[in-house]
Formats: sequence, structure tokens, C-alpha cells
Amino acid sequence: MISIRNISKDFGDFVLNDVSLDIRDGEYMVILGPTGAGKTILIETIAGIYRPDSGRIFLNDLDITGLPPRMRNVGIVYQDYMLFPHLTVRKNISFGLKAKKIRGDEGTERVKELAEMLGISQLLDRYPLTLSGGEKQRAAIARALVLEPEVLLLDEPLSALDDETRDRLQEELHRIHSVTGTTMLHVTHSFNEAFLLGSRMAVMDKGEIIQVGEPGEVFRKPNCKFVAEFLGVRNVFRGTAVIEGETAYVNVNGLRMASANLREGEVYISIRPEDILVFPGYIESSTKNSFRGKVVDISDTGTVVRIKVDAGVPFVVAVTRRSLVDMRLRTGMEVFLTFKSDDVHMF
Amino acid sequence: MFTRLREISFKTGALILILLLAALIVAVLISIVTHTSAQALITSLTSGEIWFAIRLSLATSIISTLICLFVSLPAAYALTRYNFWGKSILNTILDVPLALPPLVAGLGLLILFGTTSFGKGLSEIGIKFVFTPMGIVLAQFFVNVPFTLRVLRSTFQNINPRYEYVAQTLGYTEAQSFYKVTLPMAKSGLMAALVLTWCRGIGEFGAVLMIAGATRFQTETLPISLYLNMLCGELPMAIAAATILIVTSLVMLFFFERFSSSAGVF
Repeated sequence: MISIRNISKDFGDFVLNDVSLDIRDGEYMVILGPTGAGKTILIETIAGIYRPDSGRIFLNDLDITGLPPRMRNVGIVYQDYMLFPHLTVRKNISFGLKAKKIRGDEGTERVKELAEMLGISQLLDRYPLTLSGGEKQRAAIARALVLEPEVLLLDEPLSALDDETRDRLQEELHRIHSVTGTTMLHVTHSFNEAFLLGSRMAVMDKGEIIQVGEPGEVFRKPNCKFVAEFLGVRNVFRGTAVIEGETAYVNVNGLRMASANLREGEVYISIRPEDILVFPGYIESSTKNSFRGKVVDISDTGTVVRIKVDAGVPFVVAVTRRSLVDMRLRTGMEVFLTFKSDDVHMF
Repeated sequence: MFTRLREISFKTGALILILLLAALIVAVLISIVTHTSAQALITSLTSGEIWFAIRLSLATSIISTLICLFVSLPAAYALTRYNFWGKSILNTILDVPLALPPLVAGLGLLILFGTTSFGKGLSEIGIKFVFTPMGIVLAQFFVNVPFTLRVLRSTFQNINPRYEYVAQTLGYTEAQSFYKVTLPMAKSGLMAALVLTWCRGIGEFGAVLMIAGATRFQTETLPISLYLNMLCGELPMAIAAATILIVTSLVMLFFFERFSSSAGVF
């Protein structure tokens, strides 16, 4: 288990600000954030490249804050691979073995196993310059795993790859994690990677950790406007909430929306586009949230159709292609929107 | 139509200019080598004086090149990898000899090592720079070290420090990751620096003249020999020295081009 406690580091043009994060044994933790959020600096600090100005880092209850990288037993993989160009793939992978004086059969066996696991056995005698991006990244992962690290740090490992290679390597990372059980800390700006790989994720911005949780949880319940917008959550509104009995009512630009989250005062709410139902005419419904609006835009992306409805505030609603045809939805048409108060998430 | 014509004539004009420039350079080299008869040239080349000059030039330039590398390697590394107070001022100061005329640099060295109590102190314990071969080495080092530093600095700048970070997470100390990773990756730049520094060392004249003087069979490097023989009207000897300098330059240029073009591979 890695425990990061209140790490701060001032680089002048960049600051890590009081970062705390626990990464459990065997966990696949994804750190998600925009470019310049400080993700890379955070994992390089965990690796021991930078010494924090304040705060401590514990690895299995051992304080490693002052230890040099070589004594931490962490593996690191960068977006640009950083394979040593003057060494063959085999020598790149066995690079760590030499420093730890692991020689002979044990070393050869480990290199062989890793190369097989990553499907690069036939490339062992080639030089990095002759490899494709995906092959380079496999070699870099093998190199980082050779000392069986406590944690594998992955800095945007898939960002430099083309779509197809990225998908395949993404599955590979998932498989490596389940086969080896290594704790993984994966930094990315791609929500897809976070969602598909992460058992938990931490959202980072401007040198701070904003929210930690299971990807689904964070997506459903973002704790602030930044997270909501960064994750592409639609229908984020700001309003004033009052509690009446079992329900909170939020006044957004004159519209009164009911939420099951009981909070008062200035709040943000979000409703996922999938949770909103649309009807061509008025229907009696027990839901408290039922609004009339006008279709202002229909965007068909092929798989899902998103329609924009102006109901005093702009809603984005996801509908299936089937219902688009069945309801004969078109721009300018008057429709009714309903959604449950349970689906109005407040933050 | 007219703009097209103008474009063509501009291109043609530029090409003619390049050809003229190349012709001038070749003409200068050929006129030196062909000025005397082959017989006279061979006699001069095998004379004791020219042999002395060759040996002294080789010895001093090799020593000064090694010192330049020895000093520049850690200095260039520190200047690219570490941030410290006063770094930009330091960088500027280190570049000063680049812009300084070698004669001025030599004069400064002569005054510092010849007239100050610092220089006299060194001289008393047997470290004499004025009018000695050691002075030649010092002059070559002083004038050339900024070039070595520059080449190595840009070499290290082009090597991402993350290669070393990876090595460090794989069990290597900072020094080990420098030797195992950065240094092999800097090989081409290192060779380029070596060739450039050596070539400049062999040809250095002004600074050497000032601190080491021009004494036959004592501080007579190839450029000094050329100068002395010109003064005395011994043209074949001067040309012999010049010919050797031309040949070394061309060979060095060939190697430099090779290394500096492959320096960008990584």
C-alpha cells in the first residue's frame, strides 16, 4: 500500500498542493486530469525523482520520502517509452537485473517470461529505433516489471499510440494487472482509460487532488463543477436549494427541480442525459420534475442521438435512434421532459 | 510572368554566388599546395624543423583537447541538468572566450601568468606557462574550452533526463545512470566535440603567440612555424606547415560532419 500524505512541492512555475492519496495493494488506480494538472510530477515524486518540500510518502508503512529512486522498488513507464537506444530490447529489459546483480538462469528466465507475457519474444535482439510505438511500449513495460516492483507507475502510457494499438495495449494492461497482481498507478487525461482500467480513480487539477472514487461513482456524482465538466457530464446547473420535507427544491433560472439530495443554499446539480425521458405530448406523471420545452437541436452521432431542449434552461437529452423515429422528433417541436428526483445529483 | 522570371533569376543568381564562393575556397587551397615544386615540398616536410613542429602540435593539441573534455563534460552536464542561482550569468561568462579575439585572450593569459603574484607563485613552484610548451597547452585550452562546452551542452540538452530517471528506478545511482545511459547516448556529440576541439587546438595561433612566444625548436607549433618561416622568407617551409594544416583540417572536417550528423539520431 502506498500512502501519500500532504505532499507539497513548489517548482516555481508549477506547484503540487497538499496532495494526499492512498493506493491499496493490487489496486489499479488511475489519476485523471487535464494537461498541466501535475499528474506526471506527482508520480515522479512517488518514484523519488523529486523530493517534496513537505509531506510524506509511505510504502507498506515504511517512510520512503527520503529514499533515492533505486531503493524504492517502483517501475516507471513513460508516454515516450524512454527505451535506451544504444541497447537491444533484451538488454533494455534486463537493465534492472544488472544493477541488482540478478544473473544467470534466473535473469534469463525473467526476461523470457516477461517477453512472452507481452508478446515481444521475437523482438528481443532488435534495437528500439526499429520498433513500432506499440512494440516500444511493450518493451518499456517489460523493462519496468523486471524487478517485480511494488508499484508500476504509468505516465500517459497510451497517449502516443494510434487508436487500434491503444485499444490492444489497454487490454494488455488490464491483463498484466490481473496476471501479476502488481499495484498500478496510471496517469492519463483520457476518461475512457480511467473508466475501462481503473478500479478507482483520482481527478487532479492545478496540482491538487479534487475527487477520489470508483470511476462510475465519480462520473455519477462529481463533487464539483470542474470534475463534472472535465468528465463531460452534461446538464450541470447552478441554483438555490431549499428543503421541503423529504425533498430539496432547486431554483434554476425560474425552474423548480426536485432532488433527493438534501442540501440547502447555493448548489450545483447535474442530471445525466440518459436519465431524462422525453415525450412528444403532455403526460400525467408522478415525477416531480416535468418540464415543457422546445427542441432546438438534434445531433446524431451514429450510436446515440442527443437532442437539446430549451425549457427555460438548456437540457441535453440522450434518446435512442428508435425513439427519435417513433416520436418523429424534429427541431422546433414542443416536448415534455421528465426525470426522477433521485437522478438529480447535487454538489 | 514577370514575378516568375524574377524568381528564376534570383535562384540562378544565388546558385552562381555559391559556385563562385566554392571556387574561391578551392583556389586558395590549391594555390598553397601547388606554389612550390613537389620536390621542395617533400624536402621541407622531412626537415627536422617541420617534424619538431608536427610533434609539438600533436602533443599540445592532444593534451589541451583532453583537458577541455575533462572540464567540459561535468560542467556541461551540470549546466543542463541542474538549476542553481547565477546559472545564466555563469553561462554568459563561460561563453566570453568565444567572442574574444585570441590575441586578446593570449595577452590576458600572459599578464595573469607572467606578471601577477599568482603567476609568479606558480612559476616559483615550477609551473611555468610563459614561453613554454605548457603555455601553448594553456592558450589552446583557454580559447577552445567554450567550444567544447557548447557542443556538449547541446548534446546533453537533447537527451531527455527521463532516461536517467528510468535507470534510477531500476536500481542505479545518479552517477551510474549517467555512465550507463547518458554517456553512451552522448557518444556522437562527444566525438564531435573531440574532433572540433582538437582541430581548433592544432590551428590555434594568436593566443599561443602571445603567451608562449615564437621560438624555433622550442614553442614552434605548425602555425608558429608557418609564421616564422614567412617572416624569414623561407616559403617552402611555410608551405609545408600550411599543407599539413590543410590536410588535418580536411580530415577533421570529414569526421566532424559524420559525428555531428549522427548526433541527432537519438
